[in-house]
Amino acid sequence: MSRGLWNRETVALMLLAAYLPLALFWLSAGRADALGRLGLCALVVAVWHLVFMLVRAQPPSLSALITALAIAVFAPEDLGVFRLVLGISFGVVMGELVFGGWGRNVVNPATVALSFLGFGFPAFAWPDFDAPVAWAAIPAAVIGVGTGAMSAALLGGAAIVAVIAFGMGLLPEPVLLVAGLGLVLLVADPVTCAATTFGRWLNGAVYAALVLMFASNWDGAAPAQIVVAASLLSSLAAPLIDELVLAIWISQRRRRHGRT
Amino acid sequence: MGFFGRGAGLMPVFPSPSGPAEIMDVTTEEAAVRAPSGSSIAVTPLVREGELVAQGAAVACLRHAPNVCLTAPIAGRVARISLLPGRKLSEIVLFREEGAGRQHHDVSNAGTTTGLRRLMQEAGFWPLLRRRPFGGMPAQDETPAAVFVMATDTRPFAFSPAMALHGREKPLADGLEALTRMTSGPVFLCQPEGPSVVPTDGLSDQIKLVFRGQRHPQGAAGLCIHEHFPAGLDVPVWDINAEDVANLGNLIATGEAEVLRTVHIAGAALREAQTVRTHSGADLRQLTQRIVAPGPHVLMSGSPLDGHPARWLGPRDRQITVMPRSGPQPRPHWLISALTASREARPVIPTAALTQALASALPAAPFVRALAAGDDEAAVSFGLLSLLEEDIALLDYVLSEGGTLPAQLRAMLDRIAKEFAA
Repeated sequence: MSRGLWNRETVALMLLAAYLPLALFWLSAGRADALGRLGLCALVVAVWHLVFMLVRAQPPSLSALITALAIAVFAPEDLGVFRLVLGISFGVVMGELVFGGWGRNVVNPATVALSFLGFGFPAFAWPDFDAPVAWAAIPAAVIGVGTGAMSAALLGGAAIVAVIAFGMGLLPEPVLLVAGLGLVLLVADPVTCAATTFGRWLNGAVYAALVLMFASNWDGAAPAQIVVAASLLSSLAAPLIDELVLAIWISQRRRRHGRT
Repeated sequence: MGFFGRGAGLMPVFPSPSGPAEIMDVTTEEAAVRAPSGSSIAVTPLVREGELVAQGAAVACLRHAPNVCLTAPIAGRVARISLLPGRKLSEIVLFREEGAGRQHHDVSNAGTTTGLRRLMQEAGFWPLLRRRPFGGMPAQDETPAAVFVMATDTRPFAFSPAMALHGREKPLADGLEALTRMTSGPVFLCQPEGPSVVPTDGLSDQIKLVFRGQRHPQGAAGLCIHEHFPAGLDVPVWDINAEDVANLGNLIATGEAEVLRTVHIAGAALREAQTVRTHSGADLRQLTQRIVAPGPHVLMSGSPLDGHPARWLGPRDRQITVMPRSGPQPRPHWLISALTASREARPVIPTAALTQALASALPAAPFVRALAAGDDEAAVSFGLLSLLEEDIALLDYVLSEGGTLPAQLRAMLDRIAKEFAA
């Protein structure tokens, strides 16, 4: 029996390949500090994957590395090991592993972990990013879309709203840069974004609109905080968007053929 | 090129040597009559072992629908009739003997709907039809809401039906006209982009031409049906290959059931590929004997995506795939096998590959999730009833599932059929 190669781990590998330039830029900007944080995040996520493999026979996934990278990039600074481990454990276990692992989760575990850290420890400063790190989101998006692991529709939907808003001067540049980073790292996860093509356009647009809304109305919020909140809300809205799009699709077919 | 409409789909590449362009005519020394793949049918044999049968003569009929006959693909002597428990047909093997001649069918009533139905059932055309929903041969008195004639095939290694039909435009047009008498609905002729395989002037309004793209699964009957005339529980849709329709046209004109089919032989275990014009139930060993490379191999009737190991060419198959047989795999470490044996199935990640493997025709990720979750209602609303295993064979291949998706689809279809019958 011959087989194709687009199983779960291949997709995870393709996503990792897409994030590689971004990770390298981020590591070269943050040096030893960033490397240590990434190592800690990866260790904690991997331990939880191992625990669920042994207890629940859930195969571990390379997506653990993606989650670790996203958390390490966006986590508030100087949290200390204990708080970071607590936040990651909550996000990875409650956001992903209890649902059955990557592919069955509803929200991105990194988004859950980051929101938990943000709500739980508001005193710690959110990170800011150098422009080169934020620009590295572009090669990530290109590789992701080229390999089919990320959705062009999602990125397109977000890009349209962002370009319009930026053109009208509603979106400050620091927020735009971090929003791009959050788009590829948190929102473009193929599992937790909307699953239908038109739904993905909408999902991207909703994310960009939320970023826009927070940027103009949320006083004193750091760009990373805005991005994490927007990605959490947009991934919660994704199933709703899918339902809507599928209902429209089915009713169109009913009208055209009299049945589905 | 594009990812939408007719550009959607994939072109999976399988290794195979190339071969000569000309088509060889081969009648194999042995041939078998078998049930259409995926179905088991109870039959009453109409011949005895050792009896001489003409080509096209009935050798068996269905036990519960005696009008529907299975006919001899070659003229010869009945070598073996093997039935499974419950009089289910296993195979009826024939040895070729030229003297047995060819059966002449009475075509005087072919102009009427009942006469044509009777002729198709007598002359062995009924097993070549396949109905949706649920698949299999249609019931003997079923009237389809639409008929799809497939003159396109996008599976890997498929021989272009347009080339196979070259020079047979007249019988094809006759066959299409005849099929319009079987249904009050439309008859769709699905063909590749480019010049039409049948002259369009003088065709009845009931016949609709549908042009499909080059990539798989654009040429899969299920996807064509899904897009143009979805099947429903009480809306049966039939599909039949265009070459068989041309054979039908020929039968109506001459009374002789010639069952020509152009079959492409390809695969990694061959020295050269070949295209032959042969008959259904042909002996795969004889067809591949001279071109197969040394070493162990598997003969499959069908494409590399949806083929199955077989001795005889399947009733509807037009491809033979010869794959190298891999030796016994080394046993994995006990810890690895314990972990993999007890693990849950891995979920499917929605990617571009998933969408394209269903030609962007239906919401792929929700459909696969509905299949995996056993959500009949959602799957039906996405168009499950138009699909059969072979339509999602590419999806299963691309996602490296190793046969789980078609099995889930079949289980779901069987469950729905049972509920519908109750």
